[in-house]
Amino acid sequence: MQLLRNLARRRLRTGLTVSGITIGIWALVVFSSMANKVDALVSGGSDYYAGKIVVSDGGFGGIGGQPMRLALIDELAAIDGVEVVVPTAAMIAQEIQGVSLGPPDQVWGTPVGADQGRETYQPLVATGRSLTADDEGTDVAVLGSSIAAKRSAGVGDTITLNDRPFEVVGVLEPTLSSPDVTIAVPFTTAQGLVHADLPSVVRDAVDAAQLATSFVVYPSDSADQAALADTIEAALPGMTALTGDAYDQSVGSSVAVFNSIIVGIGLVSLIVGGLSVINTMAMSVAERTREIGIKRAIGARRRRIVRELVIEAGVIGTIGGLLGIAFGALVVVLVNEAGRSSGTILFELTVGTAVFALVFSTVLGVIAGIVPAWSAARLDPVAALRYE
Amino acid sequence: MALLEARNLRKTYRLSKSNVVEALRGVDVTIDEGEMVAIMGPSGSGKSTLMHVLGLLHKADSNHGPAPELRFAGQDVTGLADNERTRIRATEMGFVFQAFNLVPTLTAAENVALAAEYAGTRGPAARAAAIEALGLVGLADRAHHRPSELSGGEQQRVAVARALINRPRLVIGDEPTGNLDSVRSAEVLGLLRGLNHEHGHTFLIVTHDPEVGEACDRIIRMRDGVVVSDGRDVARAIA
Repeated sequence: MQLLRNLARRRLRTGLTVSGITIGIWALVVFSSMANKVDALVSGGSDYYAGKIVVSDGGFGGIGGQPMRLALIDELAAIDGVEVVVPTAAMIAQEIQGVSLGPPDQVWGTPVGADQGRETYQPLVATGRSLTADDEGTDVAVLGSSIAAKRSAGVGDTITLNDRPFEVVGVLEPTLSSPDVTIAVPFTTAQGLVHADLPSVVRDAVDAAQLATSFVVYPSDSADQAALADTIEAALPGMTALTGDAYDQSVGSSVAVFNSIIVGIGLVSLIVGGLSVINTMAMSVAERTREIGIKRAIGARRRRIVRELVIEAGVIGTIGGLLGIAFGALVVVLVNEAGRSSGTILFELTVGTAVFALVFSTVLGVIAGIVPAWSAARLDPVAALRYE
Repeated sequence: MALLEARNLRKTYRLSKSNVVEALRGVDVTIDEGEMVAIMGPSGSGKSTLMHVLGLLHKADSNHGPAPELRFAGQDVTGLADNERTRIRATEMGFVFQAFNLVPTLTAAENVALAAEYAGTRGPAARAAAIEALGLVGLADRAHHRPSELSGGEQQRVAVARALINRPRLVIGDEPTGNLDSVRSAEVLGLLRGLNHEHGHTFLIVTHDPEVGEACDRIIRMRDGVVVSDGRDVARAIA
């Protein structure tokens, strides 16, 4: 109570200091939420690539690469250490791009069951069903959660892809990763879409049923994935074989740099907030010199003076932290809601981020309060009593 | 019985290289239990410095002249560390200042309770004791007012209650009536005198006010950092 009264008697200054911390924590919360989102994307990718090798002709993970002959399956399957090969046909769905972090919207098809039970990355179906082998040859689609939101489409609705109507038969749960922006269609349908999208000169030379844009290779248990990827690249010149480890290294490290930069921005703003706590507490100590002298004279130990002031600084930090988290959460929710209609989810605010921000702002306040508090406790009570 | 015995107290303040003030130049005083003593003298005579040393707010110099000696309630307190001196101030001494020196954000009761808390009394007990102490100085009905809502005389009575709450052996007053008009001054002085008679508190009061001096059992007069007359010696001489 006394503490709150002490804070309240310098409302403007306390308010400004709290605002400093608030802005710092706000920045930390918002930037960390962005980093969380990026992390979710990357770990989604990491989960997807784990235990498999994706073979494509340039392009990342088979999207946007050159179409390949489906017959490459046999050549891949013949390589020692390769157990199962699954073709995919994928293309970027250009007409429905929104601004988003992460992979572009894509249309994707693979033969159901061709993985022979090896695929472990299975997004959950929220409504409707997933594709089955019986869907081959029909124009049906399962939508990722962001696509469904962006197109306001649900099960039973019809969406248009390259001027072709597709019936939506299922919508996936959000994964915060690629499947959210993927329209899954039967493999032969995907082949047709990819084929139709080719430049006419190329299109006339290839048969839609004989093309794929990438192959997912499931190695045998004993195979060394990195060595197998090298073998594949050697056997099929011009092809890129990407393993889970290679994905983690290339994408993971650049994401780590990106994340440190954005979290760094948040931390810098917090350091500024921390300095303003030091300033406020130093001013407050100067202002209360006489009061500290009284307390020391009538028997307050140095430790008690330090404790009073440090707790006060800690409370400034905590209040700033709570407000920063609240405003940060508000921004995250509002921006995500605003972006939901266009499928743009920029932020993910986790409990961990909020707890970290609160603990950090409190500790920051306490640390910032220590030096002014210590100098207050060292005051000569007699001199402090005379202070005007 | 002597409550406070001081020998060879010296205190020099170096305000700057060329400005060195010898505030105390070898002072011996003895205060008996239950006495009410005034320290008087012109400005700069060293009476405030003496009060600060006797009140354990400052230490006497020990780096020149004969070794100082300060005994309080039989204990040698000459060289005690800050924590120990603070503990004795909290539990065995009470302070009343000229400028009242109440904490402006706290109510009268909270100000008084603060001294009890510093002496180790827990919150609720300290608050109860504070109300009781305020009753002793006739301010029970003003317990929940802030200092800014009290008159000067009332503020000083709150300060007296704060000084008395731990039933200290020694109450030190630094010009306790200095900021009060003659009516309030007489009121506060009567309060101190009454407390001395009824409860046997020992008072040591630094003052300019001859009326305060007269109300005390004895006057110690100082000039230029030394004691020039001590009622105790006069009393002895007469005897």
